[in-house]
Amino acid sequence: MKMAKDVYEDFLRLTGFEEDEMSEYLPEWRKASEKLGLTKDDITFATEKQLPTYFDLEFEGVRKSIGCFVKEIIDLTKASEYKERGVKIVYGILPAILHYYYALKLTAPDKVFVSFPDIFLALVLNLFFHKLNPFLEEAERTGISYGCRHCALNKTRYASRKLGIIPPPDISWIWGFICDEGPKTDEFIRIFHDPEWKTYITRLPHDQPLDTVEDEVLWRVEYLASQMRDGFEFVQKEIGIEVPDEKILEAQEIWERYGAKLAELNELMTADPQPISAVSVRLFPEPMGAPFNTGIEFMENALDITIRELKQRVANHEGILPEGAPQLMVYMIPPNTPWLIKMFEENGVGLTFNSTMTLSKKQLEPPTFEDPYMAAAEAWLRGATAGNPGYEAEQTCEKLETCGADGMIFGLFDFDRWLGSSHRLLAKMIEEKTGLPVFYIEGDIWEDRDYSPEALRTRIESICEIVKMRKA
Amino acid sequence: MNILEELAQITRTRPEMLKEQREKGIKTVGYIGRFVPEELIHASGALPYLLCRGGQPDPLEVVIPYMLRVMSPYSRSQIGYHLLGIDPVIPMLDLIVAQCSTCHESRLADLFEYFKLPTVRLGVPPDWEKSLSRVYYQKRLTWLREKLEDLTGNNITDEKLKGSIESMNKIRDLLRKINLLRRKQPPALGGYDFIRLNHYSFYCDLEKLPPKLNDLYEQLQKEKRNFPIGAPRILLAGHVVSVGDYVVPKLIEDSGGVIVGEFLDEGIRQYPWDVKIDGDLMANLVDTYYVERTPPSIFQPAWEERVRYLKKLIRDCNIDGVIWYELSFEEIYNMEGYIISKAMEEMNIPLLKLESSYEYAREAMGPLTTRVESFIESIKQ
Repeated sequence: MKMAKDVYEDFLRLTGFEEDEMSEYLPEWRKASEKLGLTKDDITFATEKQLPTYFDLEFEGVRKSIGCFVKEIIDLTKASEYKERGVKIVYGILPAILHYYYALKLTAPDKVFVSFPDIFLALVLNLFFHKLNPFLEEAERTGISYGCRHCALNKTRYASRKLGIIPPPDISWIWGFICDEGPKTDEFIRIFHDPEWKTYITRLPHDQPLDTVEDEVLWRVEYLASQMRDGFEFVQKEIGIEVPDEKILEAQEIWERYGAKLAELNELMTADPQPISAVSVRLFPEPMGAPFNTGIEFMENALDITIRELKQRVANHEGILPEGAPQLMVYMIPPNTPWLIKMFEENGVGLTFNSTMTLSKKQLEPPTFEDPYMAAAEAWLRGATAGNPGYEAEQTCEKLETCGADGMIFGLFDFDRWLGSSHRLLAKMIEEKTGLPVFYIEGDIWEDRDYSPEALRTRIESICEIVKMRKA
Repeated sequence: MNILEELAQITRTRPEMLKEQREKGIKTVGYIGRFVPEELIHASGALPYLLCRGGQPDPLEVVIPYMLRVMSPYSRSQIGYHLLGIDPVIPMLDLIVAQCSTCHESRLADLFEYFKLPTVRLGVPPDWEKSLSRVYYQKRLTWLREKLEDLTGNNITDEKLKGSIESMNKIRDLLRKINLLRRKQPPALGGYDFIRLNHYSFYCDLEKLPPKLNDLYEQLQKEKRNFPIGAPRILLAGHVVSVGDYVVPKLIEDSGGVIVGEFLDEGIRQYPWDVKIDGDLMANLVDTYYVERTPPSIFQPAWEERVRYLKKLIRDCNIDGVIWYELSFEEIYNMEGYIISKAMEEMNIPLLKLESSYEYAREAMGPLTTRVESFIESIKQ
């Protein structure tokens, strides 16, 4: 790899940018870095330390996946310019049904900008530069307190508006399928800081008994479908872009195609020895969780390359762990604390499988409904993370069996009063059902101010010892 | 104040009374939250029992193996006492109706079920301005009505429901009248007593309560005031003052202030709003419980309307200062606290924010007392 003296250029080359892209992206990257508060030292730190430490950069696909996020963050810092040019700005928050955002882009690519700003900012700033703290601290100084354990994503969204990184949206279609704090943060932003922050919310009460198979409760599917239909109609009206149903179906097909490739990647990760660190492939599921305004194609290309490279490595019986090393499933592979995954790997255990990104058999079945909204509602409820813990435990047990995992890690979600609040209960349920060792680690997947490597090392080492002894 | 003591005694002996009734075949229905209409439970022939305990730290700790540490102390308390084996009522409940409007409430319902307690959930969509959501709540109420009918074997006829609504309206009316006496200078009743009165009203028989409230109302009109003229008039705002969580209200009044208004989402009767008794009674319940009352903090949008209501209370009750009583890790109230704080600053109304995880040990009481006393003192000056 040709290395230049310019740290910005070095960074772009390291993250998979092609020679013919440099003239376009280099000045934009300089500008974006400045806007994000990234100094030359920060870029150097990412290039020379953070990325080489945690990512298998000899993989072209891995480098390109990082580059896709750089392209997206550059694009995000231009959102104000887009708005000034009359492009409609549509935001959302995790988790959401992405088909609608992608369908907007398919319908009017140059007239609409879609993003979940917090996820891209949090990922890029902390995973690549370990520099999300100024955003978090800004939010904490001005209304979203440190002590209450609020979510870093919500803080980031608020701070990014407050710091002028992003413009107010024409509409922020926010989803309260999981937590309460996400949607209420948008109300907070509007009242406390920016009256132009316009919002539409879609919510679903958590009111089903344990063990309910929620995607088979017709009235619930219908209710959710109606909520989505109303929401999307509102968004279209608000921004003056009409999306035909075919575009939703087209977006769904793209999404499914990407999902199938992701499943192939997961399958490769089950190889023994584990062919690559989970950190290196951590970015690939993101297009299933947040829409890329720059398009999913860049990530798909990176994914294709990675799959090809991994196939070769598997064929060569090469890996990052010894053959027969235990592999664990984790509720969600922490994106912003790569040291945690590495710590497991250094102790001879793979934190290999991502429960939330592993599709259950039910999720792989074709939809029961032709109507795109009913199909999307059914698909969402099949996922179970928004539903009752009984159903979620059942699906997780199935995933553990399918992946052949040697145990499971819950936790790292102590900021989330929905997802995080069931983990201790899920751990008990799953351990009872499977007999596998299931552990709980208190922590935070988005930031590590409270849960440092030093704080968690003993816990992780103990878990690894237990898992290895169980497998021996 | 003997009437308040009588009501307190009724509350204390309520578990024994429920046990006796249960032996006679009367069902007991525990419920959580302001969206569960007591009217429906009464009309089914069952006895309602509000689950709203709090104010002690031990019940919170015992829940940690099953729940995230940073969850609401109030929600954790509702199962914590049971897990400690010191809740006399939960084991004998025939049904628990758990309101599910927040993550905290829904996770509490999960635990009730996990521990094999007979539980049904009342879903309450927070996006309350949509007709879809309103219909959702109405359908869930209809479903709850059927569940109660199945449990008790009694039909909830319109006649029974109307009678029940009338009784509840009567209680609300009496509480409104008593509350109005607090607007006088000095007020006839402080918040420590009024909050307890509200709590006791949940545990008293429907027939016995109105005469007691009426007697209290008449007595308060005649009685000599306990509070000095000029005592700082405080509004206590926040999520909930649970049954048993009286340290802060008492401390405020022991420090020379008087609580003359509350702005609480739970643990207090929403007495300003009656339910209409003509037309479609189920629709009327929805109108009052879901649409007309001031939205709870979790609803969206809510905060602007809540600030408007708070400002009205401040004017109506001639408030000198606001105490924002926040329970630890209640993330929505934590954000709202900043919005209220900003609004109070604009109104030039002093605000004190207190946070509690029900830790009232001696070490915690010192700083808490100092803060409250200083706040009251600063208002006096």
